[in-house]
Amino acid sequence: MNSEYLVEVKDLKKWFPVRRDFSQVIKKERKFVKAVDGVSFGIKKGEIFALIGESGCGKTTTAKMIMKLHEATAGQLIFENNDVTNVDKKRLLEYRKEVQMIFQDPYASMNPRFKVRDVLEEPLLIHKLYADRDERLEKMKDGLSKVKITPPEEFLERYPHMLSGGQRQRIATARSLMLSPKLVVMDEPVSMIDLSTRAEILYMLKELKNEMDLTYLYITHDLSTARYFTDRIAVMYLGKVVEMGTPEQIIDNSLHPYTKALIAAVCEPKSGKVNIVKEVPIKGEIPSAANIPQGCRFHPRCPYAKPSCISNPEPKLIEHNNDHFVACDRYKEI
Amino acid sequence: MNMEKVLEVKNLKMYYFTSKGVVKAVDDISFELKKGETLGLVGESGCGKTTTGFSLLKMPSPPGKIVGGQILINGEDIMPLSENEMRKSVRWQKIAMVFQGAMNCLTPVYTIERQMMETLQLHKPMSKEEARETMKKYLGYVGLSEDILKRYPHELSGGMKQRVTIAMALFLEPEVIICDEPTTALDVVVQAQIINLLKDLKEKLKLSFIFITHDLATEAEVSDRIAVMYAGKIVEVGTNQQIYGEQGPAHPYTQKLLGATPKLHENVKELAFIPGTPPDLLEPPTGCRFHPRCPVAMEKCKKEEPILNEIEPNHFAACWRCLNEQ
Amino acid sequence: MFKDLKYKLNEFWSEFRKVKSGVVGLVFLIIFILMIIFEPLISPFPEAGKRWRDITYWEDNSKSAPPVWTNLFTSKKYARSETLTAPIENVTDNGRVKITEYEFDYDYKADRPPGDIIFRTEATGNLLFITEIIRPDGETVSITRNNYNFSKPSNVRIALSNDSKNGAYELATKFDKENTLSIPKQSIDGFNILFSKVQENMASTHDPLKGTYKIKIRILNPGSTGVLENPRVIVSGSVSGILGTDNSKRDIWSGIVAGVKWAMLIGLLTSALSVAIGVIYGVISAYLGGFADSLLQRIYEIFVSMPVLPVLIVLGAVFKPSIWIMIIIMCVFFWTGPVKTVRSIGLQIKEETYIEASKAIGASNTRIIFKHMIPLLIPYSFASMALSVPSAIVYEATISMLGLGDPSITSWGQILQDANSAGAVIQGLWWWVVPPGLMISLVGMTFAFIGFAMDKILLPKLKTR
Repeated sequence: MNSEYLVEVKDLKKWFPVRRDFSQVIKKERKFVKAVDGVSFGIKKGEIFALIGESGCGKTTTAKMIMKLHEATAGQLIFENNDVTNVDKKRLLEYRKEVQMIFQDPYASMNPRFKVRDVLEEPLLIHKLYADRDERLEKMKDGLSKVKITPPEEFLERYPHMLSGGQRQRIATARSLMLSPKLVVMDEPVSMIDLSTRAEILYMLKELKNEMDLTYLYITHDLSTARYFTDRIAVMYLGKVVEMGTPEQIIDNSLHPYTKALIAAVCEPKSGKVNIVKEVPIKGEIPSAANIPQGCRFHPRCPYAKPSCISNPEPKLIEHNNDHFVACDRYKEI
Repeated sequence: MNMEKVLEVKNLKMYYFTSKGVVKAVDDISFELKKGETLGLVGESGCGKTTTGFSLLKMPSPPGKIVGGQILINGEDIMPLSENEMRKSVRWQKIAMVFQGAMNCLTPVYTIERQMMETLQLHKPMSKEEARETMKKYLGYVGLSEDILKRYPHELSGGMKQRVTIAMALFLEPEVIICDEPTTALDVVVQAQIINLLKDLKEKLKLSFIFITHDLATEAEVSDRIAVMYAGKIVEVGTNQQIYGEQGPAHPYTQKLLGATPKLHENVKELAFIPGTPPDLLEPPTGCRFHPRCPVAMEKCKKEEPILNEIEPNHFAACWRCLNEQ
Repeated sequence: MFKDLKYKLNEFWSEFRKVKSGVVGLVFLIIFILMIIFEPLISPFPEAGKRWRDITYWEDNSKSAPPVWTNLFTSKKYARSETLTAPIENVTDNGRVKITEYEFDYDYKADRPPGDIIFRTEATGNLLFITEIIRPDGETVSITRNNYNFSKPSNVRIALSNDSKNGAYELATKFDKENTLSIPKQSIDGFNILFSKVQENMASTHDPLKGTYKIKIRILNPGSTGVLENPRVIVSGSVSGILGTDNSKRDIWSGIVAGVKWAMLIGLLTSALSVAIGVIYGVISAYLGGFADSLLQRIYEIFVSMPVLPVLIVLGAVFKPSIWIMIIIMCVFFWTGPVKTVRSIGLQIKEETYIEASKAIGASNTRIIFKHMIPLLIPYSFASMALSVPSAIVYEATISMLGLGDPSITSWGQILQDANSAGAVIQGLWWWVVPPGLMISLVGMTFAFIGFAMDKILLPKLKTR
C-alpha cells in the first residue's frame, strides 16, 4: 500500500500550548489549541491533492508540518517510504531539497531587498549546487523561461515591487523549482492574483507538473478552482479531515453535511438569484480550536445532529466507495 | 423601472497626482442608482472601483483629487459642499460606507458599545438611553444579540465584526450604502450569511446599495444592475439578467472575465484567461484601453476611444464591436 | 568576488546620487575629510593640535577676541593684528654703553585699541629695555623698563598692555586730574586711554585718537657685548583669526580644524562598534526567542542599569586616560542603545513570510540572520549611528571634564567644556561656543543625511513613495 504514495501523513497532530494563568499553573492544567488533531492522508506521485476548508481549520498548519516548518506534536510523516517525522540537520537539508513551497502572498514571500536574481540564487547557494556563477546564472535563466518570464536577463535585475502580482507568483514558482523538488506545497497560490490572470497561472502550474514530474499539495478555501485544478480533495473541519475523494465525488456527490453546506454557500455567476435568499444550511462560525466540541466536532452546527452524535465517540474516516471517504456516522441517513 | 434616482454620478474624474505623473484612477465615469436597487461595481484590482467608492464620499486618499464631475444625491449636487458640510450633513447621513477590512475599522481598545455610541452621538444629539435603544434596534436588524455590546472587537468573529460595521452604517438610515468588498476576507459560509443579510436589509429597509467587489460570482447573487470597470472606465452596464443570463455580456472584457471565473457545478477542463496585465494608468493605451488584451480588437479600437452606448434597453457597452453589430 | 563588489558599488553609487540630501551629506563628509588632510595648510597655528594646552604657544594672541570679520558688522572698528618689522634703527656706542634705538610706526585706524603690543627679539648679554609710545599728538608715554642678562641667545618678549597702566594713568592725570583721581588705578585699561584723544573725562570716556603711533624701544647695553637680532613688534588685535580666541588666547579656528579628526574618530568608531554589537545582539535575541532571548535580555538589562559615571571614574583611575580606552569604554555602554528597538523590529521581521520561505528552502540560522534580517536593519543602524555620533563626541567631552580625558588631543568637546567652565555664554563669547557646537551638529547632520539616503536605497519600497 505504502509504495503508491509519495507523501503520507498518519494521525498527524499539532497542539499549540495556551498561555496559562497562575491558578492553572498551580493546578497543573494544560490547555491546547488543537490546530491539527489527527489528520491522515496520502498523496500519490504525480497527483494534485487539495486540502480545503475555512480559515482556522488547520489546513495551513498541516502544510507547514509537511514542510517541517512546524514540529508535529504527534503522528508520522512519511516521505518516499522513509519516516521523516524526526530527522537530524543533514537529512532535513536533503528533505528540504525534495519538498518546496509556494506561499499565498508572493510579495511577502520574497525579501523586498532582494532582486529576482538574489531570490532565485538563494536555493542554489544554500544547497551549494553550482560553484560557478555563470552556471548558476544559466540555471536561473532556465528557471525563468520555464515559468514564461521573458526575457529572463531583464527580469533578473528587477525588484519584486516592480513586478505585477502574476509575475511575482511566477518568480516564486521558479524559485521553488530551482532545486527540482518532488513535492510542491502551495498555500492558496492564486488567491491574491487578479481573476483575469489566475487561470493562466493555474494552467502554467499544471504544465510544469507534467513537464517536471511533480506532485502538488494544494491548500485552498476555494472549491471552484479546486474542482478545475485538482485530482483529489480532502475537506478539513476544525483540525480533522471530514471527507476525502475526487472533485466529482466531493462536489457532485458530497456526503458530509459540512461539505454540503460549503457547496451550497458558494456563489455562482448565474442570473436570477438576486431576489432569492439563499439557503445556508449551517449557522454560526467555526468554533475555536481551543475548545473542540465533544463527540462529532461538527455537531453544534450540523442541521442533522442527533443526541447520538454527541454521546458517540468521534466518527472515523470510513470508505464509502471507490476511495471516497467520509467521517460521519449518519451520512447514509441524510 | 421608473423609480426615482437616489444617486446620480456624472462624468466623475478622480486623479492621483504622483511624483511620476497623473494617474487617472477614475476617468470620466457616469452611472445612476435607483431607490431600493443594488448596483454592482466590479473589476480587477487597480481598476478604480474602490477609488470610485471613496470619491462618492468626497474622501479621495492623497495624493488623489476629484478633478471634475457631479455627484447628485436626490437631485442635489454635493460637489460644491465644503468639507465641513460634507461631514455634517452628507457622510453617514446620506451616504455610508462599509469598508473592506471590517476587522480593522473597529478600535481594539474600546467596547463595541462605546464605538457605536461615538458614531451615533457624533451625528445625532441623543441621550445615552436613546442611543442604546437605537443600537439594539439596529443590532437586531443585522442579527446580533445585544450582549455583544459589552465585548471587545477581538472577542468577536470576522462575520460578527462585519455585521457590527453594517449596523453602524445603517444608524442614520442613509440613502446610499457603499459596500467595499464586504465579504472578501470572510469564509464561504459566513460570506453567504452576510450576503443574505444584505438582501434582507434591502428588502426590509428599502435601502440602496453600491456593492463593490472583484468577484463576478458574488455580484451575480446581490446586484440588480452591474457596472464593469476596466482601467478607470466603466466598460459595460447592464441588468443582472443581461450580464449573467443566457445571452451573456456584450463587452469582450466582461465576457473574458466571466469565462475566467471558475464555476463549481460545471466541469470545465480549461479555464479561460486574459493574456497580459491591466495597463499602467500613468500611460493608458490609446483608443480603447482594453485593446492590447482584446481578442477581437480592430484597427479603430487602437485609435478612437469608445463611449458607453445603449445597445439594448438599459444595457450599455463601450465597445466599437458592439456598436457595429447593432 | 571582487567583480561582484565592484558591480554592487557602482550600482549603489548610481542610486545614491539620485538622493539629494545624501549628496549634501556626502559633500560635507568630503569637506571634513579634506579638512583633516589639509590641516597644516588651513590652520594658522599648525601645531594647535599638539600644543593646545601650551600657554606659550598662544601668548601673542589677544584674550577673548572676537573673529576679524565681526568688524564688518560693527560701527566701531576693532584694531586688527599686525606684525611690524623693519624699524628705524639708531645705534650709539660710547664705549661703555651701547644704546640701540628701535622705532616702529604703528598706524592706528580703528576705534578700539589692540589687545596687546608685544616687542620680541632674540638677544644675548646684559640688556636694559626701555619702551615708550609717542602718540600722534606728541605726548610720550613711557611703559616698561626690563633688565635681562642672557649668557646665550634667548627670546625676549615684552608685552606692553599690562604695564601701560602707570603711563596711561599719568597721562590722564595730566589732562584731567580731578576725574582721574577718583578712579582707582587698578581698574583702568591702559590701552584704552593710550589710544584716546586728550579730553575731559578721558579716564572713563574714550574717543579714539587715530594716527601714527611710534613705539620706541631703547636698549642699553653696558659693555657693548650684547647682540640683538630680528626685532619686531606684534600688535595683537582686539579681533583675531577666523573664529576669534578664547580666554586663554587660543585660536578657536585652529582648535576646530584640529578637532575634526578626533571627532570623526571618536564618533565613527564608537558608534560603528557599538551599533554593530547592539544590532547583532538584538537580532540574535529576537531570532532565537525563548530561553536564549530571556537570558540575553537580562544581560542587556544589567548593562543598561549600570551607572555609567561611577564606573567611568573608577576605570579612568585604573587606566591611563587615552582616546582608545575611552572609545572602548564608551562602546561598553553604548551598544545597548539599539538593542530594544532592533529586537522589536527583529521580532516583526522574523514573522515575515520570506523568512519562512527561506527556511523552507533550507537556509541556516546564520544565513537568515545575516542575509535577511540584518540588511533590513541597516537603515535603522545608520540612523542610530548618526544619532550616536554626536552623543559620543559629547560624552567624550564629559569624560574630559572629569579629568579623565586624553590630554594629548584637541577635541570640540574639550573646547566646549572650556567655554562652559569659563562662562563663555554669560560673557557673550559666542564665537567660543557656537563653532564647536555647530560642528558637532554638522557632523551629526552629515551622518544623518547619508544614513537617510542609504535608507532609501537599501529599502526599495520607500523609493516608490
